[in-house]
Amino acid sequence: MKKELLVAALSRRRASFSKGWYKFSRNPLSVLGLIIFFSVIFAAIFAPYITPYPEHAGAFTNFRESSLPPSLTHFFGTDSVGRDIFTRVIFGYRFSLVLAVVVLSLAMPSGIILGLIAGYYRRRWIEIVIMRITDIFLAVPPLVLALAITVMLSPNLFNQMMAISLMWWPWYCRLVYSVTTSLRHEYFVREAELTGASKAHILLREILPNCMAPVLTKMTLDAGFVITVGASLSFIGLGVQPPRPGLGTMVADGAKRLPAEWWMAVFPALAIVIVILSFNLVGDGLRDMFAVEEV
Amino acid sequence: MTPLLEIKNLQVRFKIYEGELKVLNGVDMVIGEEEKVGLVGETGCGKTTTIKSVLHVLPTPPARISDGEILYRGNDILKMKPAQIRSLRKGEMSAIFQDPLAALNPVFTVGHQLHDVIKYSSVNRGRKHLSKKEIRARSIAVLKETGMPDSERILSNYPIQLSGGMRQRVCISEALSAAARLLMADEPTTNLDVTIQAQILRQLNELVAKRKPSILLISHSLGVVRNLTERVYIMYAGNMVEVGRTKDLFADPLHPYTKALLKSVPKLTGEGISRGIRGRIPNYLNPPSGCRFHPRCDHIMPICQKERPAFFTSGDSDSHKVACFLYRR
Amino acid sequence: MSEEILTVENLKKYFVTKQGTVRAVDKVSFSVKQGETCGLVGESGSGKTTIAHTIIGIYEPTKGRALFKGQNISKVFSQRPKALKKEIRIVFQDPGSSLNPRRNIKQILELPLKVHRICSNSDRTERVMELLRMVELPPEDYMYKSPQVIGGGEKQMVAIARALASNPSFVVLDEPTSALDVSVQAKIITLLMQLQQNLNLTYLFITHDLSLMRNMASRVVIMYLGKISEVAPTVEFFQNPFHPYTKMLLSSIPAVSDEEENLKPKEVISGGEIPSPVNVPPGCSFHLRCPQKMGICSRVDPTMVEVTKDHLVRCHLFSGGRKLT
Repeated sequence: MKKELLVAALSRRRASFSKGWYKFSRNPLSVLGLIIFFSVIFAAIFAPYITPYPEHAGAFTNFRESSLPPSLTHFFGTDSVGRDIFTRVIFGYRFSLVLAVVVLSLAMPSGIILGLIAGYYRRRWIEIVIMRITDIFLAVPPLVLALAITVMLSPNLFNQMMAISLMWWPWYCRLVYSVTTSLRHEYFVREAELTGASKAHILLREILPNCMAPVLTKMTLDAGFVITVGASLSFIGLGVQPPRPGLGTMVADGAKRLPAEWWMAVFPALAIVIVILSFNLVGDGLRDMFAVEEV
Repeated sequence: MTPLLEIKNLQVRFKIYEGELKVLNGVDMVIGEEEKVGLVGETGCGKTTTIKSVLHVLPTPPARISDGEILYRGNDILKMKPAQIRSLRKGEMSAIFQDPLAALNPVFTVGHQLHDVIKYSSVNRGRKHLSKKEIRARSIAVLKETGMPDSERILSNYPIQLSGGMRQRVCISEALSAAARLLMADEPTTNLDVTIQAQILRQLNELVAKRKPSILLISHSLGVVRNLTERVYIMYAGNMVEVGRTKDLFADPLHPYTKALLKSVPKLTGEGISRGIRGRIPNYLNPPSGCRFHPRCDHIMPICQKERPAFFTSGDSDSHKVACFLYRR
Repeated sequence: MSEEILTVENLKKYFVTKQGTVRAVDKVSFSVKQGETCGLVGESGSGKTTIAHTIIGIYEPTKGRALFKGQNISKVFSQRPKALKKEIRIVFQDPGSSLNPRRNIKQILELPLKVHRICSNSDRTERVMELLRMVELPPEDYMYKSPQVIGGGEKQMVAIARALASNPSFVVLDEPTSALDVSVQAKIITLLMQLQQNLNLTYLFITHDLSLMRNMASRVVIMYLGKISEVAPTVEFFQNPFHPYTKMLLSSIPAVSDEEENLKPKEVISGGEIPSPVNVPPGCSFHLRCPQKMGICSRVDPTMVEVTKDHLVRCHLFSGGRKLT
């Protein structure tokens, strides 16, 4: 009997997944975004194996081949010290994606938990404390805050990640807070309380699953923003340091050589645009997937 | 004489991910001039879909009308141009829905909303422009007719400040201000307290007697329908299963579903509560073949699974018809 | 002779709001006997839901107390002993929001079993299946379904199964079938009555539907604007209603047959609006709508009086008979 129930449960899981995919794929742009998304991840992971000049991603110089325009041997051309820009862009994706993953892994759980607690314990001091701290962080423009922090510490990728995480968690806190306060008085939460369930259970098993839809959608859109912020910081020199290939750093270097050697700035910039666009499209698709259909 | 509204073999399908929901399976209905008709059916039987089809407000991407005609005074609504349908809705048809709070705009006062309805209704078009004073006087008059206490003060209130019964009275006034020929009321009193419901029904009765529109009253409450209608349809799973004069049908229900339904209603006589009807409403993706009620019927015969029954007349009156093979001559 | 399992003594619950003090429950006393179904009937603003929520522990009484099996339970649920949470359970009115849409039925039914450690981990699945069978829902079909894909009636049956999971002795039913179709209601009520017999349960059934109470309750309590206006055993109540509000309620019932129609009192028809509990009229709260109003009604609030055995009324028309505080 148990085995049959398990089989039924799995087939139901599969059915709801394919229904979710159907809703996601109704917009062809979302599917495009997903394809680009997976391509970028694949490229970043397998960078050393798929790029033509993996050694160019580090300290490498070849002044005989410097400042070459895009060609068949160098798809995106070379930079001022002779490194292949295409290779460096793909390696640059690595930093961007690591940034996105680390920042969101730090910001999301902390923001979610704080939001749950603040939303559940309304009108107690803990809510006030948490939400006012959140307000403070949200009041400062994100870039300025990250800038300030990075300047205080030494500029490198690690510190950049810490700085951005610190200013990212309040958004999740607020999002989860608003969902939690609206669900707080729903009968199913009441019922769990009346039964005597622990607070941990109520927050994590009853309320949190209902927050996941907006949180996941926000997460995909955020990944794009985080990469932008990272690139902005690198652009002003506060992120990935040369000779490592950060996308923002590359745009900064290339900007000095506009408009004559345009390929040095344009391709890294386009790379940033494409990855952000793909995240946005996937986020749109996720939103469609979570939308409740009414008949 | 042409009936006011005649629905013939209406079939409506809804497209969803898993396939197509065959919601309305050949609905037939006739409403005459100045006639009070009831439609009884439980959740999911298709009554709201039917009204929406008549008003032509079905969301047509997922829904589609795959067959049938809806004749208003002999003209098929389904073949009309949007402009014609709009003018029908303006001057001839109006509707009252279940949740008055959702039907009224929360950011405009009652007076403002009534003003709009009266000003733009077809009745007043072509005539000279009604002045604000006249419109206001007419609003107060129509509110008074619904039994609203203190009509003049109500005009400056917002919907949220009124009780449920008063809001519903405002909706009724709006519906009647357009001097409709066909008033469709979809569960108008379901959300109201029982004593308020009694008042509203009484006032609706009086209003209908005075202005003589045709009225289609939809409810899952048999008692409410019995009070207000002359003729009643019983609907199940996208089909009309029984129709007759209200008195006849309630005194002598014929269809097994109608019988079971009447038995399920708890009565003041204290005769106990039935066990309900076994099974559940059909899945519209794969509805039962033949008569859609057959999986739940205690009187099932072989033919019930094969063919869908047409209306058979029963008893002495021509007007009492049942869609059940038990009554085939 | 069955004893009283729940006693409510002079219970008051007031809410302070910006518009004023809402006297949701204003000095209510009644008791429920073991094994019976006590019907609590009223319209909006009557306070019936507030009483239910106070008994179950969502609110704490402003004044007065409630006793369960002799124990004082006038506390909010977070301060109640766990054993009490097992004994008194509630089924809410809205099936849509009482089940978490993001959990499946097995998880929903397991929660009370886990919290109260009713059975071991390995037995839990079996027990969930038993509960589903008890409410006539085949476990194979329903175990892993989400509440979003089942109908209102089935949701309520799951809610009932959940309430019974902890083997309670007292179940509060807050308008469990008001949102459901009449044939589904019949099924659920029949089920509830069967379960009551099999498991020796006591019900406090809250509703606005008097016809339902006629067929289900052993005693009926009528509430209006926070106060009880009449109490009586069911048969006596329907044969001999005293209070004008009761008569108004009875005459408002939409009857489905002439037989029923003839049972309704004719002398009081519905009029006026239900006042808001923030603006309770002085004297007898019903006097503004009462067709049998006397001078004293607008000045003095009547007290509860026993007119015939076990049949109590709070109305100036009945100032004879034994006076009860």
